[in-house]
Amino acid sequence: MPLAKRQFDAVVVGAGGAGLRAALQLSEAGLRTAVVTKVFPTRSHTVAAQGGVGAALGNMGADRWEWHMYDTVKGSDWLGDQDAIEYLARKAPEVVIELEHFGMPFDRNEDGTIYQRPFGGHMQNMGAGPAVQRSCCAADRTGHAMLHTLYQRNVRAGTQFFVEWMALDLVLGADGRVLGVTALEMETGDVAVLQARATLFATGGAGRIFAATTNAFINTGDGLGMAARAGFPLEDMEFWQFHPTGVAGAGVLITEGVRGEGGYLLNKGGERFMERYAPNAKDLASRDVVSRAMATEIKEGRGCGPDGDYVLLKLDHLGVEKIEKRLPGIREIAKKFANVDPVKDPIPVVPTVHYQMGGIPTNYLGEVVVPGKGGPNTVVPGFYAAGECACASVHGANRLGTNSLTDLLVFGKAAGETMVRFLEENPGHPELPADAADRTLARIARLEGPGGGESVHEVGRELRRTMQAHAGVFRFPDLLAEGVKRVKEIAERAEHLAIADKSRVFNTARVEALELQNLVEVARATMVSAEARKESRGAHDRSDFHERDDANWLKHTLWYREGDRLAYKPVNLKPLTVESIAPKARVY
Amino acid sequence: MANGTHRKLRLHVMRYNPRVPGDAPRLQTYELEEADGMTLFIALTEIREKQDPSLQFDFVCRAGICGSCAMVIDGRPGLACRTLTKNLGEEITLAPLPFFELIGDLSVNTGKWMRAMSERLEAWVHMRAGELDLTRIEERMDPALAERIYELDRCIECGCCVAACGTARMREDFVGAVGLNKIARFRLDPRDARTDADYYEVVGDDAGVFGCMSLLACHDVCPKNLPLATQIAFVRRKMAREGLG
Repeated sequence: MPLAKRQFDAVVVGAGGAGLRAALQLSEAGLRTAVVTKVFPTRSHTVAAQGGVGAALGNMGADRWEWHMYDTVKGSDWLGDQDAIEYLARKAPEVVIELEHFGMPFDRNEDGTIYQRPFGGHMQNMGAGPAVQRSCCAADRTGHAMLHTLYQRNVRAGTQFFVEWMALDLVLGADGRVLGVTALEMETGDVAVLQARATLFATGGAGRIFAATTNAFINTGDGLGMAARAGFPLEDMEFWQFHPTGVAGAGVLITEGVRGEGGYLLNKGGERFMERYAPNAKDLASRDVVSRAMATEIKEGRGCGPDGDYVLLKLDHLGVEKIEKRLPGIREIAKKFANVDPVKDPIPVVPTVHYQMGGIPTNYLGEVVVPGKGGPNTVVPGFYAAGECACASVHGANRLGTNSLTDLLVFGKAAGETMVRFLEENPGHPELPADAADRTLARIARLEGPGGGESVHEVGRELRRTMQAHAGVFRFPDLLAEGVKRVKEIAERAEHLAIADKSRVFNTARVEALELQNLVEVARATMVSAEARKESRGAHDRSDFHERDDANWLKHTLWYREGDRLAYKPVNLKPLTVESIAPKARVY
Repeated sequence: MANGTHRKLRLHVMRYNPRVPGDAPRLQTYELEEADGMTLFIALTEIREKQDPSLQFDFVCRAGICGSCAMVIDGRPGLACRTLTKNLGEEITLAPLPFFELIGDLSVNTGKWMRAMSERLEAWVHMRAGELDLTRIEERMDPALAERIYELDRCIECGCCVAACGTARMREDFVGAVGLNKIARFRLDPRDARTDADYYEVVGDDAGVFGCMSLLACHDVCPKNLPLATQIAFVRRKMAREGLG
């Protein structure tokens, strides 16, 4: 196989919101930057974000970044690092205003300021309430507007994209510094080494490990797989967000903005059941709380439909005018994918896997940090991560709605800035090791050689089924233990995949096999980490340990691929400038 | 359909891989049983998983927002992920979008064309010099105007409008409805410092707004129902005035 080498100042893997925001910083600094992406940038999954981006602009009434910080800490069930959360909440208004200047088509108020809507878990007065309107939105297609705006800025800045390229593995120097990636050019089937003085992963989530997910087909955790194979740990992978309102059967997302605008959930008796589970916040409680309530209703026989396996999201009372103005995309989705017109009928919804809270461990500057000589958060030189694939950690055990778009703007920009500084201070390329691409080439050779025999689709299906059944909204000790065993078996099978189509050009089967190997790493990390965490916190809810256990479990999980080893590191409860928010009971 | 027998669907798919020497375009037929709520995305995925791993097509979001799955469905450009098979006959013909570079089978390179178009039209807000001041609050905007801008900003760059366009068949440098809609969008935006004279520079010719023959297939096929006919007419009036002035 021919092996080309190309040199750049920086390589960014992924062209969603975080990758584009970082690339903009690098391109505008005049650095030679390659953005590697499996799909054309505006097809990236950020495009599917609907409800808004959270920032304490205070356009709709009093709001303060300290309140946003408090809500995020509480939303994280105190597993978030408070330095990173302070940074997120403080910087949020700045990155939103910047995006507005870039041309983002936000909705507006009568006074011309950006319109903000309520969202789950966002409150006034350090959690005391009432609800605050903090989510800046472009109707219900905020991610689409944001991604296109960031892409336009990158076209202006002349950013170079490697479209339909898939990054395969990290390249490491002898001293542990990251020196770029190996990547597959899908059109030709060639593998190249993309050498870089700084490498950013912005590869998004890996929701495709589950059978029912709002995630796009491309969300296969490629960055996580690459990091794990290179020996880096993955942090807090047991925490997966189930979005309360995926269209039943189809998995397509219905934004929380529906409830923000006044929609609510009903069980088969027509009861607004969230009033029982969260008397104050009701349908706008945190996502983990609402998803658990829905799953409980369904489990206890109060679900709707012939099989009682979903609940209903009612919004017809908002009126056709408001629905058309604020939620036009939702009406379109409901008609197409649920066969109901929400101006008349409620939408059948179920909790659906949506977001991965864990990821590659970073600090708030976007630098990847791992246990090492400098303590539990030793910086890996030349390696950065931002967005859903990273774990800063701002979302802890449960992410608040709107904070994912905030995350990718704030930390995409921060990582870009940090990389620019690093590149100034570290001129010159270290030498590439002779075996830079060996791991990758061996992996591809195995796929194509004899000795395989496992079908990509069968192994993939088995993986998704196992994750769905063993690591769902509610988790049970026996199912988790069995799940660990099964996922390890599946991982073993994934070592022996065979692809029937061996052509070089645009070989979808090869790409799917390589993606599956990444998904398997994520699934292993998830199952092993979940089985080990003997408490309930945020999105991780165990039947045998029903309470949060701060004495033993106020700590981050670190999973290493080698031997499925687990380590732990403390949560940073110390913010950058303000006082720590001490753990307390989380009630909505 | 839920409790009756399901239809047998026959999908006739245009197959051709221009990178494989000796390959020639042909229709290949796949049979499968229809399922409740089946979209073309579900049907094609099932075919690839169970019948033919070599079949090429693009899907990303499968929710009609990423714009990657446009193809010609029974002769008409549309998004495969939002097309329910129950609205089609038992015989379904699928072909790649014309005009764009063919990658293989149903997959075309819309992105490459969209990037070139964006560069040519400078499809971004041209801020006035020194305008990026983050200490200032956001630029105020009338909510009705914001809504009009947002309405045009809904374009997902799927390429259906260009694939359906008569002018694009004849001139490969035509910017298409997608490009003209962008000009309409930035013209509306008070944050963009460009004047009609600037826009005339980029679309005031036959590769731009004067190339449009008003056949309006773009308007008919747009999966997002963008008001393309009105917008193109509007841009044309403004550009004509600019050209005469």
